[in-house]
Amino acid sequence: MVESSDERPTQHAIVNELELVEQARNGSETAFRTLYDDNVDRVYRLSYRMAGNADLARDFTQDTFLRAWERLDQFRGDSAFSTWLHTIAVKTALNGLRKHGRHGKREAELKDGTHMAPDRRRLDPLARDRLRGAVDGLKEIYRTVFLMHDLEGYTHPEIAAALGMAEGTSKARLFRAREQLRNALGEEMREYVR
Amino acid sequence: MTHEDMDPLVKLTREEYNAPPETPREEMWAVIRAGMAERTADVVPIRRARGWRAAFAGPAPGWAAAAAAVLVLGIGIGRWTSPGPGPDATLTAAAPDEDVMLAATRDHLRRTESLLTMVQSDSRTGAVDPSVGVWAGGLLTRTRLLLDANSVEDPTTRELLEDVELVLMQIVGAAHVDGDDGERTRSELTLAIQGMDDKNVLSRMQVASATGVGLAGT
Repeated sequence: MVESSDERPTQHAIVNELELVEQARNGSETAFRTLYDDNVDRVYRLSYRMAGNADLARDFTQDTFLRAWERLDQFRGDSAFSTWLHTIAVKTALNGLRKHGRHGKREAELKDGTHMAPDRRRLDPLARDRLRGAVDGLKEIYRTVFLMHDLEGYTHPEIAAALGMAEGTSKARLFRAREQLRNALGEEMREYVR
Repeated sequence: MTHEDMDPLVKLTREEYNAPPETPREEMWAVIRAGMAERTADVVPIRRARGWRAAFAGPAPGWAAAAAAVLVLGIGIGRWTSPGPGPDATLTAAAPDEDVMLAATRDHLRRTESLLTMVQSDSRTGAVDPSVGVWAGGLLTRTRLLLDANSVEDPTTRELLEDVELVLMQIVGAAHVDGDDGERTRSELTLAIQGMDDKNVLSRMQVASATGVGLAGT
């Protein structure tokens, strides 16, 4: 599920969201559950893209929501709740990956292959490794923007807010990420992308 | 590869690179809900479920060793004086529902399994990362809280958690041996691993955390 880049919360949705946050702040589990339901797919998907590992993705997602719950008082409503939440989500995932090392953990999971859905796979294992290596080889600042924008459909304003950078920087990093991928993959992927 | 090829390449990457599975919505919510309850309830604080060493990274503080020692002593006394499960009044009053406890127990076993696997592999060197002691201490506390929460009715699960508790106690003990006493650390670890192997703790945990078998009465 990649959400449309053009999707923006309506005014009504924002007001409703603020009410939910207020209720959650006052201890309403139901309100927080609604906020969770509205956002968990996107947070989990992004966490999984970044970690490549179901356990870590689950940990990062859980941590994100628990931190949000703890810090609801700090949410001032200047931005959408989802924007604020994604700032926490990205920081949680990046910090977690720095601690655990993203490559080692994912390799462990690749060995058991439990997360694979073979019928959906178009690449042979060698080509998949090449592709994976190319994306993994990107610097963190490029990889994160690439995963958010191109794979998960985040807009540049969303990425800029989540990563604390200007929109122009987000665009420049995406450009660099794509360029590096093109250079890294060279001719090898040509047969798969036609 | 040219610029025009980039879009299909992005599409391919979207399909092939860390393609997320279905969101384990309810499973995660159960853990989050338990974490929220911990923060809200005015009971003994439980370290929240987190992956790997994240929650316990850094050197073990002095109080951790003291707390672990007191806990170990308490567990020993408790086992001698009370043959059956002894409900803790405070925790019983705030006991979460069955689904939450089941998810929390599975999650706890999964995390403990990560620690035990790592310790098993590290045991060959006889060295213990300082963070392991704090990590194991947190898991030990959580194991005891799960046992004391009066919600573990299934004897298989109770037995498994008690075995896990003993192994964790030994690991906490090994982690707090004087850093220069490598021989003693190795010996403590060997004992822990031996106990773990004798009772097939790891494989029983793997089955329980993966399938939930034996946790139905949790």
